[in-house]
Amino acid sequence: MTAATPGGSPGAPFSVLLCDDNVMLLETLSEVIRAQPDMEVVATACDGEQALRLAGCHRPDLVILDVRFPGDGPSVARGIARCSPDSRIVAFSAYDDKGSVERMTSAGVSEYVLKGMSNRELLAALRRAAQP
Amino acid sequence: MTREPRPQKWARKQAAPLSETAFTLLVQGVLDYGIFMLDPQGYIISWNAGAERIKGYEAADILGQHFSVFYPPEDQSSGKPQWELETAVAEGRLEDEGWRVRQDGSRFWANVVITALWDEKGVLQGFGKVTRDMSERRAAQQALSERRRLFDHLVQAQETERRRIAWDVHDDSIQAMVAVAMRLELLADRVPEAHSAELRRLDATVREAIGRLRSLTFRLHPPGIDRHGLVEGLASHLDDVVRSSWGMDYSFDHQLDRAPTPETAITIFRIVQEALLNVHKHARGSRVDVRVTSADGGLLTRVVDDGTGEPMSVDGAREHFGVIEMRERAETAGGWWSMHSRPGTGTTVEFWVPNPLPLPASEPKDGTP
Repeated sequence: MTAATPGGSPGAPFSVLLCDDNVMLLETLSEVIRAQPDMEVVATACDGEQALRLAGCHRPDLVILDVRFPGDGPSVARGIARCSPDSRIVAFSAYDDKGSVERMTSAGVSEYVLKGMSNRELLAALRRAAQP
Repeated sequence: MTREPRPQKWARKQAAPLSETAFTLLVQGVLDYGIFMLDPQGYIISWNAGAERIKGYEAADILGQHFSVFYPPEDQSSGKPQWELETAVAEGRLEDEGWRVRQDGSRFWANVVITALWDEKGVLQGFGKVTRDMSERRAAQQALSERRRLFDHLVQAQETERRRIAWDVHDDSIQAMVAVAMRLELLADRVPEAHSAELRRLDATVREAIGRLRSLTFRLHPPGIDRHGLVEGLASHLDDVVRSSWGMDYSFDHQLDRAPTPETAITIFRIVQEALLNVHKHARGSRVDVRVTSADGGLLTRVVDDGTGEPMSVDGAREHFGVIEMRERAETAGGWWSMHSRPGTGTTVEFWVPNPLPLPASEPKDGTP
């Protein structure tokens, strides 16, 4: 699969920043993303501070962000929107209650994916979010 | 009792001296109230049976003594007895509640009224003093308040524990299982078709378990209940769970005079949650109506479904536990719980819990009995 206009240059894979405080999940997510020809993992973050620094540094096309993330998911999402305005954020959460979804949506995330959905659904959400 | 009609003049003439004697006898015989008189300086000049019963002194022991002997040492040294007489003189009467001391040195909680007595020329003749022993009422109030405190503590402890378990399941078990499911799917994409089918079955099983664990954490600690209070907590539970997850219609009415304390809110929420779970699992209804209203100094809640009216039918143990839990929660809060169920007409769970004002953080200690 060929990416639309990732990273500003046609044909290059989407750069992805992964943010989750669970190391096992972070490794698995990396593996799933790396298996995609149109995506590449540029960095991983375990807390809000690291996430903001890496987002500012790499300006990734996509950010996968845990909702219950150290530093608070919605706050981190707002911070990323400030330091890397072109990054699209996909919330990745074990909570599907209205409150959690609303808080992330109002923080400007493009997609909300429930942990436990298939890899296929997560990847589809990432590709939808990356559309201009 | 009936009275013979008599000429009024005669009745008054005869009744006056009699009633004065009767009145003295009455005052002397009253046991529930200590009624006695003080001279203008506060020395005791009369004593009744009630005063003897309450304070322990016989008339011979106490007549002529200053009334400040009834006050605890700290009140004596702060000049409270004298101040009370001065206030009664200035304002006509004084009412006070506080510790008083019996002859044997033990303390009791008293309600005291001191009335200044003046003659026709406006000269102070002394004071009338009425004392009631309020120890039992005070002990009852304290027991009630202690019960409330224990109830609040119990509710909070339960919620804290549930929250801790929910977070542990969420932060550890669910995350690990999500990672396992993602790896299984990844692996299924990589291995030959013959093996991938089994991996996908495993993957599906793990993801179903994740769904069940998510429901469990949601049930253990519904988001919103401690952040937004009862009405919003119930509204989002009905929206997220009843409509979105179970696909049932619902209505939610609420008329609250004032917001309940967090503990009362949690009690109501938990009972409604259990009642709704019962509707979902057993009632086979399509709709549920929830109503919370202020009534009789508390909150009356109704959960009405349009199901089969046999919600407790088959599997005994779990349902029985649910009913016990609902009833115990309501009764521990000082309320009641009931369930009416008739085949074909649905089930109504109805309960009432008191809606007390929040307890002060800590009650001031005002002496040791």
